[in-house]
Amino acid sequence: MRQFLLTSLAVFAIAITAIVSLSTASKAAAPEIGKAAPDFTATDINGDTFKLSDHKGKIVVLEWSNHECPFVVKHYGSGNMQKVQKETTEKGVEWVTIVSSADGRQGNTTAEEAAKIIEEQGAHPSVKILDASGEIGKMYDAKTTPHMFVINTDGTLAYAGAIDNNPSPNPATIEGAENYVTAAVDELIEGKDVTTSQTQPYGCSVKYAY
Amino acid sequence: MRKLLMPFLAAIFIFTASMTTSAQSPEQDPTIDDNLVKIRLLAERTDVSGGDEIWIGIEKSIAPHWHTYWKNPGDSGTITKANWKLPEGATVSDIHWPTPKKLPYGPLMNYGYENNVFLLQRLKLPKTLPEGALTLTADIELLVCKEECIPEYGTYTLTLNGTQSETEDNSAYFEAAIAKLPVTVSWPSTFEQTNTHFKLGVTLPETIASDIKPETLVFYPHEWGLIENAAMQSALLNETQLTFSQKIGERDATDLKNAEFLVTYTNKQGRPNSYKINATPKPIAMIQENVATPLPLTTSDNSNITIATALLYAFLGGIILNLMPCVFPVLSIKALSLVKIADKSRSIARMHGIAYTAGVVLSFIAIAAILLILKSAGAQIGWGFQLQNPIVVGALAYLLFIIGLNLMGFFEFNNRLGNVGNKLTQGESLNSSFFTGILATLVATPCVAPFMAAAIGFALTQPALINLSVFAALGFGLAAPYLLLSFIPAFQRIMPKPGAWMNTFKELLSFPIFIFAIWLLSVIAILSGSAGVLQILIGMSAITFGIWLWKKSAGRSIGNTILKIIAILTFAIATFMLVTQQKQITASENNTLDTQSFGEVFTPEKLSQILDEEDEPVFVEMTAQWCITCKVNHKIAINIDSTKKVFQENNVRYLIGDWTSEDPDITKYLNNYGRNGVPIYVYYGQKNTETGQRPEAQILPQILTPKTITNLFN
Repeated sequence: MRQFLLTSLAVFAIAITAIVSLSTASKAAAPEIGKAAPDFTATDINGDTFKLSDHKGKIVVLEWSNHECPFVVKHYGSGNMQKVQKETTEKGVEWVTIVSSADGRQGNTTAEEAAKIIEEQGAHPSVKILDASGEIGKMYDAKTTPHMFVINTDGTLAYAGAIDNNPSPNPATIEGAENYVTAAVDELIEGKDVTTSQTQPYGCSVKYAY
Repeated sequence: MRKLLMPFLAAIFIFTASMTTSAQSPEQDPTIDDNLVKIRLLAERTDVSGGDEIWIGIEKSIAPHWHTYWKNPGDSGTITKANWKLPEGATVSDIHWPTPKKLPYGPLMNYGYENNVFLLQRLKLPKTLPEGALTLTADIELLVCKEECIPEYGTYTLTLNGTQSETEDNSAYFEAAIAKLPVTVSWPSTFEQTNTHFKLGVTLPETIASDIKPETLVFYPHEWGLIENAAMQSALLNETQLTFSQKIGERDATDLKNAEFLVTYTNKQGRPNSYKINATPKPIAMIQENVATPLPLTTSDNSNITIATALLYAFLGGIILNLMPCVFPVLSIKALSLVKIADKSRSIARMHGIAYTAGVVLSFIAIAAILLILKSAGAQIGWGFQLQNPIVVGALAYLLFIIGLNLMGFFEFNNRLGNVGNKLTQGESLNSSFFTGILATLVATPCVAPFMAAAIGFALTQPALINLSVFAALGFGLAAPYLLLSFIPAFQRIMPKPGAWMNTFKELLSFPIFIFAIWLLSVIAILSGSAGVLQILIGMSAITFGIWLWKKSAGRSIGNTILKIIAILTFAIATFMLVTQQKQITASENNTLDTQSFGEVFTPEKLSQILDEEDEPVFVEMTAQWCITCKVNHKIAINIDSTKKVFQENNVRYLIGDWTSEDPDITKYLNNYGRNGVPIYVYYGQKNTETGQRPEAQILPQILTPKTITNLFN
């Protein structure tokens, strides 16, 4: 009996090493299409708490933004982003604008300034979050502004990538471009699979802290 | 904020201005003079006739510190677009992109160009050309970035067959630019995505392979999202077989039928080379063959190591392990037990020696096998990985704490739990000797002894059988002193006579054990923070309480049964505390020793940036909280006044990487130098002011003295 216990203790010690290292080795980096979108809790510019998982049942769009980036200017200056926001939120979509610019870097603002920018832009986000620490940005591996994510009603990631298929800062190119976000939202509402679920995001780099 | 706003306003201005003017006139518009990127359109020759095919080019002069992008811009940015208006019947090819440069930017990475870049295109003219001058115009749209990005637009013209005075012959200029373009080749190449890594395998022609400086190898994917652009790249060159590996990107490449890559390197004469290859997905069967990774061809100190020397080093390293502070207390108890046994029978003593050796060797092989399996699954880990996990470290701390309590005499295992402690000291059964062997292996892992690193680094690049033999040799070395002691009676006679003092000695030895447990708690503090330390301490209290209850519950009665159940519950609490530790994900900045006052945190991007762009010498130290050799070296040779002074005088950039928690970037760095564990110390000398080249990197010995470091600068 004693011998048995000793041997099993030894086996246990080795086994725990193996199991634990296996489990840590297989951890994924970026969020994957079709898998659960990483949950986060943040305070929005009005001081309210936003928790992603509280919005299950709704389609959620995450938009990475930086109002000084030319690509963002292209979509807001032409009224394109506001139009997409209005159309989708009217269909019941929760639109979350996230600014991951670090303190002192381009696009970083106070909550008051952020509210003013919404007003000036005539934007229609449901929520706007300032993520100066870059925590949410890195959780989603957000690389550019704009960088778009569409999350289905069950909390799985349905689309990640560019806003449309024209990676140019030129507003003249908006017309005729295929908007991936509108397409994804419409397909999800109709209960279909998203045809284009991943594209290369384009734009300015997210201004994370160095 | 205002400062940031200016370029933005400028951009709007330039943009609106260029939009209006370009619409009105096909001539060079006036606002482009203010552009950060000055553009000229050039032709190889301006004198052309019908049916000609010539090179034309967009010459960009980019303002200092600004950059534009390659075909695959990397994590952000966008490519330069040229929209040509050509004479009827003429066609122009896609841009032939020159070899880009890596442009790191915080946690992101871009691929692009700085200063001057020449984008070449092939122009094909129709059979018949109209009389007189031909005017070609290009609407060029580009993005130029530094901190922030500015889009620039312009319309430019190129005149062919113009008046005599306009005739230009730029063929020499073009020839030089063409010579620098990546050369398209058809080298057999395949790519694959593992769970964690993207791998590109290329079979090189022999003449090319032998001319490469391996440390200069870099690959660039034309496709987006295949690799995490900012992650460190590793290149292994084994004869003509080249394998690149980098952390995978966000894109699922399963549907990708083929993909283009640039393979770049500097040859032995110091000339940069760039080749464009087209790779196909690796067939499944081939992936199997490649389990044994080729030997890393770097200028490391193990490239000439043979199997025999690796085995010898491993054996010597194992012997030295016996003297390490983590192993010594466990072994001295074991050695004492021999005294008692030897009194009884010589053959029993021998049996114990064999059982102990078997325990050590088998557990080394077991750990090596686990490591091999994990590595073939693509995990970036190395030796010592066991101690990068808070649960394993916590379990070790519990184990040592319990052994300490037992040695202290707090309890004896008189019932069915089994007499672990007594067995260690008295060695009644052969099983206990075997178990001590396993224990010795587990506690030895933090102390990577000097000779071991090269041997282990070598082993992990070899086929499985050689790999396991090296680990077995290491285990045999660890077991050797005890084995000798058990086999040679002469040694046993040196040991003191058994007596009452042994009990006192046993109690005394519990203190180093407790200190070792405390040290493990300091490792926990880094792996899972102060919350983790608290959990383990609660667990230890629960264990103590449980043992105490168990002691009180001798005899069969209902009350005692209840006590026993409570005791088991407290053990369950201890286990719960162990497994619920939250691994800290925070960056290693806060973990590293003394980085606040001295040294900078290592990141691969920072290192390559300093090596490429700056001239100062660089000293890289890779360490871990659980690595005693590392800490001793740091204390006696690095964090001392003379070293600080010599670093300061020579403007040394001192980078420290902390491998306490799993860190694939550091593992890759270690692999580049043929290592699989810490410590490693690498010195990159100052750039030669004339050639702009650095001397070859020097790998310092694993045991540092202040002199080793000061000698670098003499």
